[in-house]
Amino acid sequence: MKTYFTKIEGKSNGFYILLGILGVLAMAGLYSSYLMFTKGHYLTGMNNQVPWGLPIIITIYFIGLSAGSLVLSSLSSVFGKTEYKGFSRIAVYLAALLLVGALLSLGLDLGRPERIMLAFFYLNPQSIFSWNGFLYSSYILICVVYLWAMFKEKDKLVKAIGTLAVIWAIGVHSGTGGIFGFTSGRELYHSPLTPPSFVAAALSSGTGLTIILLVLTFKVTRRFLDPQLIFGLSRLLIAFILVVLYFLAVENLTRIYSPASYEATHFLLFSGNVYCLVFWVGLIFIGSIVPAIILFIKKSIGWIVFSSALVVFGVLCERFIIVIPGQVLPSELFPGYEVSSPFMDGAMGSYIISPLEIIQAVGVLAIIGILYILGLKFFAFLPEGKK
Amino acid sequence: MDRRTFLKIGAGVVATTAMGPLPQLVSCLQAKETKACAKNKWGMVIDVAKCVEGCTVCMDACRKENNVSAGNYWIRLATIKPKVPNAKSQPIPLLCNQCDDPFCVKVCLVKASFKRQDGIVLIDEHRCIGCRYCMIVCPYKSRSFVFKHYEEITNPDSPKRQHGVVEKCDFCVSRIDKGLMPACVEACPNKAMSFGNLNDPNSEVAKLVATGKAQRIRPDLGSKPKVYYLGL
Ligand code: SF4
Ligand code: SF4
Repeated sequence: MKTYFTKIEGKSNGFYILLGILGVLAMAGLYSSYLMFTKGHYLTGMNNQVPWGLPIIITIYFIGLSAGSLVLSSLSSVFGKTEYKGFSRIAVYLAALLLVGALLSLGLDLGRPERIMLAFFYLNPQSIFSWNGFLYSSYILICVVYLWAMFKEKDKLVKAIGTLAVIWAIGVHSGTGGIFGFTSGRELYHSPLTPPSFVAAALSSGTGLTIILLVLTFKVTRRFLDPQLIFGLSRLLIAFILVVLYFLAVENLTRIYSPASYEATHFLLFSGNVYCLVFWVGLIFIGSIVPAIILFIKKSIGWIVFSSALVVFGVLCERFIIVIPGQVLPSELFPGYEVSSPFMDGAMGSYIISPLEIIQAVGVLAIIGILYILGLKFFAFLPEGKK
Repeated sequence: MDRRTFLKIGAGVVATTAMGPLPQLVSCLQAKETKACAKNKWGMVIDVAKCVEGCTVCMDACRKENNVSAGNYWIRLATIKPKVPNAKSQPIPLLCNQCDDPFCVKVCLVKASFKRQDGIVLIDEHRCIGCRYCMIVCPYKSRSFVFKHYEEITNPDSPKRQHGVVEKCDFCVSRIDKGLMPACVEACPNKAMSFGNLNDPNSEVAKLVATGKAQRIRPDLGSKPKVYYLGL
């Protein structure tokens, strides 16, 4: 069976209203970035103890979502599951957009964003971050070529590029995990498991987001979406949730068992009030267990979309847990001593997300949204089909 | 460093500092090329027994010399107290350890953080993109981010950093290059700090380190700090 792809009309009032709303949000986001850039980062909730905040969380979140949807897009082209072909184009497009969003969030968070090009001039082979600059930009390029091959229906090329894209997505995501995992001296960061568990979270959140967007997009554009396709994805989603839980269990049990990282892990899991809350309630309960149960017992599109949303939220909590508590916890410079200083040595740091950061994050999301709906209008991403 | 090379570098530094921060940095890079610098390995030994709780002399001197932005610290006097009953607290100055295997340099994606041949770890604030990865990996919390533009310049000869870059202790590199001691070492009324060339066995610091009594903070992390402490 051959799948035909079409553009959307993009002429309805709804389309323009949506575009307008997203445009306003995007402008607001860019304006708050402008304020941070001209006035300084004191406008954010970040401080010397917690120098990485919401923009970094958003960055790794989007990278994860991107990697996830790219892997899904390859189900048909690489793994031969042709029933998934209908959404392969839109999934690749989404993957590219999300990575653009991630880079935007990262770039806007820099203290000196105007120097971003320096990152390409002065590569530091010892820095995983430097490698990531290369991985991210080549990833976008691969997505573009992948899309082009899909449009031209060059099946062999699609398969080859698709395979490369999957490998790249995993590399990009492992590299992002490495930024944290390779950090010795911070108990909650330093772990060889970070890169693989990053990939797992990427797959679950990416699948969740793809499900939501597929159902929404097909519904709004009045296209027929085969429920079997969503059921298939939902089975994958269950598997990914379980893998994420498995990694979390292994990682935290290992940490809590080792005396060196016992205190840090205890802080994260039991005593770090808001962080425990985000971990247990946000990530484990709302973000993993509840959707897993719903997916097991309810087999309707509505419930699947709902639980996908929970998973997408859960992984956002996971990203928060990865970035923030590891910084809040002071590094142990003098084991066995109490430490105090005017620079907050030995004290718990705090990070309260500032409204500007949230507006910036929403702005980045809006930019992705604009590009998404414009993409649907100008390119034949969606399979044809009536309802 | 023999006298002549010293004078040469000194003259170069003086000539270029007059032109502002960028040339000054270039001069450091040039100094990096000269053999004289590689012979040195600057280090510090701090006798905490001579430190007084509540004293702020070193912090003030540093702030004044280096135009450190408000809320940031290049050196700070911490207090440590063993977690046992009735323990006595001990003041201890903390500053960048000028690690010989600096994590911050390893991770800097644009090589804005770099180690000079004499072992001083510097930040090229005209190259730093403000990603703050170095702050994440420095185990000693030695780095601060310039969060806000600041107007108050206490030392017109020292570079003025704009907001959005990272700053930290540079062992008062411009003073060392002129043959002076770092500002904190010079200011300490109790002579608690000694500074010098660890490679020269006759220097005070090398002798103190050779006694085997000088300790470093968390050398197990592997960054090879070059700030030693006595009396811990
Ligand atoms: S103490 Fe920190 S900032 Fe200083 S050289 Fe070592 S790693 Fe770098
Ligand atoms: S903040 Fe500046 S010095 Fe630190 S790693 Fe980034 S570019 Fe390098």
